[in-house]
Amino acid sequence: MPMGHTATDQAGTGGLTATEHRLANGLRVVLSEDHLTPVAAVCLWYDVGSRHEVKGRTGLAHLFEHLMFQGSGQVKGNGHFELVQGAGGSLNGTTSFERTNYFETMPAHQLELALWLEADRMGSLLAALDDESMENQRDVVKNERRQRYDNVPYGTAFEKLTALAYPEGHPYHHTPIGSMADLDAATLEDARAFFRTYYAPNNAVLSVVGDIDPEQTLAWVEKYFGSIASHDGKPAPRDGSLPEVIGEQLREVVEEEVPARALMAAYRLPHDGTREADAADLALTVLGGGESSRLYNRLVRRDRTAVAAGFGLLRLAGAPSLGWLDVKTSGDVEVPVIETAIDEELARFAAEGPTAEEMERAQAQLEREWLDRLGTVAGRADELCRYAVLFGDPQLALTAVNRVLEVTAEEVQAVAKARLRPDNRAVLVYEPVAGEPAEDADPPEDPEAEATVEAGDKNEEAAK
Amino acid sequence: MTELATMEFHPQPQAGEAKPWAFPAPTRGTLHNGLTVLRCHRPGQQVVAVEVLLDAPLDAEPAGLDGVATIMARAFSEGTDKHSAEEFAAELERCGATLDAHADHPGVRLSLEVPVSRLPKALGLLADALRAPAFADDEVERLVTNRLDEIPHELANPSRRAAKELSRTLFPADLRMSRPRQGTEDTVRNIDSAAVRAFYERHVRPATGTVVVVGDLTDVDLDGLLGDTLGSWTGSAAEPRPVPAISADDTGRVVIVDRPGAVQTQLLIGRIGADRHDRVWPAQVLGTYCLGGTLTSRLDRVLREEKGYTYGVRAFGQVLRSAPDGTGAAMLAISGSVDTPNTGPALDDLWTVLRTLAAEGLTDAERDVAVQNLVGVAPLKYETAAAVASTLADQVEQYLPDDYQATLYRQLAATGTVEATAAAVNAFPVDRLVTILVGDAAAIKEPVEALGIGEVTVVTAE
Repeated sequence: MPMGHTATDQAGTGGLTATEHRLANGLRVVLSEDHLTPVAAVCLWYDVGSRHEVKGRTGLAHLFEHLMFQGSGQVKGNGHFELVQGAGGSLNGTTSFERTNYFETMPAHQLELALWLEADRMGSLLAALDDESMENQRDVVKNERRQRYDNVPYGTAFEKLTALAYPEGHPYHHTPIGSMADLDAATLEDARAFFRTYYAPNNAVLSVVGDIDPEQTLAWVEKYFGSIASHDGKPAPRDGSLPEVIGEQLREVVEEEVPARALMAAYRLPHDGTREADAADLALTVLGGGESSRLYNRLVRRDRTAVAAGFGLLRLAGAPSLGWLDVKTSGDVEVPVIETAIDEELARFAAEGPTAEEMERAQAQLEREWLDRLGTVAGRADELCRYAVLFGDPQLALTAVNRVLEVTAEEVQAVAKARLRPDNRAVLVYEPVAGEPAEDADPPEDPEAEATVEAGDKNEEAAK
Repeated sequence: MTELATMEFHPQPQAGEAKPWAFPAPTRGTLHNGLTVLRCHRPGQQVVAVEVLLDAPLDAEPAGLDGVATIMARAFSEGTDKHSAEEFAAELERCGATLDAHADHPGVRLSLEVPVSRLPKALGLLADALRAPAFADDEVERLVTNRLDEIPHELANPSRRAAKELSRTLFPADLRMSRPRQGTEDTVRNIDSAAVRAFYERHVRPATGTVVVVGDLTDVDLDGLLGDTLGSWTGSAAEPRPVPAISADDTGRVVIVDRPGAVQTQLLIGRIGADRHDRVWPAQVLGTYCLGGTLTSRLDRVLREEKGYTYGVRAFGQVLRSAPDGTGAAMLAISGSVDTPNTGPALDDLWTVLRTLAAEGLTDAERDVAVQNLVGVAPLKYETAAAVASTLADQVEQYLPDDYQATLYRQLAATGTVEATAAAVNAFPVDRLVTILVGDAAAIKEPVEALGIGEVTVVTAE
């Protein structure tokens, strides 16, 4: 087989290993064996996300992701869904700033089908792409936008804060869901050009994890993907580099029909893949992760000024990461009261650093999150792709938790001191108004950084 | 731009030989204090899942105190005889653990997840919470205020708002199921630490509880661990408690919860029907999946993939409460969001899908694909300890045998097209569905009235 190279195993977390391979057409392949359960996960990351979109065509990467489920050369109509589900598998696709991923989890004996399907659309999507599916999925995506963003309270907070935190013209200034106007403006030719530019084997990483025979799996990968032509000509994404700190406090007040005042903020933090990003993750966990964090204790338990308060990290590799603060106020409490308390807590943390106990707690929490993520074949497949695409080395996925555990309290304090400052944040304040039509709206404690082809499985209940 | 070179096509591959997989069978036991124990070893699952079921159902809440079970569930993690509220949260997180607790119609559930290396410590904390919860006045007061603050957020969320309205419309007012699980402003306000403690003393005891432990238990002395932790929890024997019968008025009608200016209408269309003790359950699962289980099911094939009215509409059956004497029920419902201008056409299509199903039935091909999916996804679905523990706990809560899920898969595989059709048609009869629409009444009332799916009333949102 014309494999470019095959790297050897390295044992990582819990004895997990992965091998790396490359087809002649440039497709990188990562395999990881695990025979505990007769399932296999297939994950394909294309190195294209909303950061590659151009002005006037926001949302195109995600709309295109939907079109990948509308049939391809040998697959009719909704066949990608029908064949996988009919084989007892599950599937979805998601689009973020930095990548688009497609994934199937299959009973192990149906693995070959998933590979055949992914290869078919990588190599022959344009044979099936037509106006009818374009018009239909444009409407579906617009309804996705309404459902998840426009029709729920605080729904556009993520979009607004992102637009504040990354300047006009920056590739991360807009979010993957895109604007209604741009979704309306996208043409079939845009979609075709998008495919021709970004959907190439040399712009993707395929991982297969689970109860697999590696030799057989590689033979299938070669058989189905091997003849897909590589092509270059993908333009480099616009430069996402920015100064380490914003240098001033950016601020927007939103008056909308929301149930309570809210204070949200995005802090500019180190790029993913650095030790400083892991230190920032620990700092945010001590400050605002879970119910023993400093902000929760201060605002929810002691001051009783907030109904919920938390910090999260949106890790980004091609631009500074974002530290995401979300506080909903209690009763009639005014936002400045909350803001003053937060600034006091952040200043104190920067001055004193975390206690040994806080470090232990934060590292234990992040360790469990990693165990959860690597505890399923689908989670592992996704992480292997992530490290391969964003950092060039899938093995890093298996040792990520060790790196988090190596970070010291001094490093956590240093990143807090340098970054968690009022002049390094974009702030969004919600002030409720009553009774007016609200065109805007919701989510959640976690920023909705991804757009998907299918909503979460509400039919989980069905098979019980 | 030039067209890409053509790839070499191959025929669709055939499946390999399926490897055997069975839903894990738990081992049962009882601690000295009467606590039932189910355990299940899952090799490789380093994060252990522990579920505790307490026989403290919502219908046991005293009149005027709806929400006391919820506040009690939350207060379990707000301090014990050994730790203050802040210390307890810190100790749990030091274990890398998460502990969730919630109250529902069948009872209160606590869900602990923790890396196996720290299981002993976390089980100790869980036992403290159940054995000696502090229920301190000021912590309970804080939880009550916090809960009151949450209510407006829930009412502003279209899907939560729709669920609340459906319960209110469907069930008689004196039935606990007609009212929000976590209480209303009027009832939550009345809750204090004395009320929480009284509810605890009356309904929480090991003799009527169950703990389910699932994960990689290699080298774990679970008997010793449980004996040292949950084994030290004591309590009196339980008095039998009558369970009220469930009834519902599913006369076809429509309630619009007015949300002026809303860009979408949230749909929730439901009634109650058979639960898992009914022989029709497997066929109902199958038929409901064919109707609206996924985006290739009948509803989404039209509403999403043909018309583009929605991001997705789902049909589902969710057990409300279950019992071997046949008094249980499941909520059968269809839910989703459609854009405001297409609300009338979308409902029209939805009813057409239901009528067509009743007139023509399911096809064998649909039935086959549904069975292949529902049965085939089992090994994927139950990969984690948490998923297995949750289903085992559901079975206990619903008075089902421990091999229920394994049996259900065999029954699904043996269910034919005719049975699945009959079950789906009986589950969703076109004239016995209560429709809740959370949306812009000015824009949708008229077109909905024109459909003739029942009398339309409008209520104002809070």
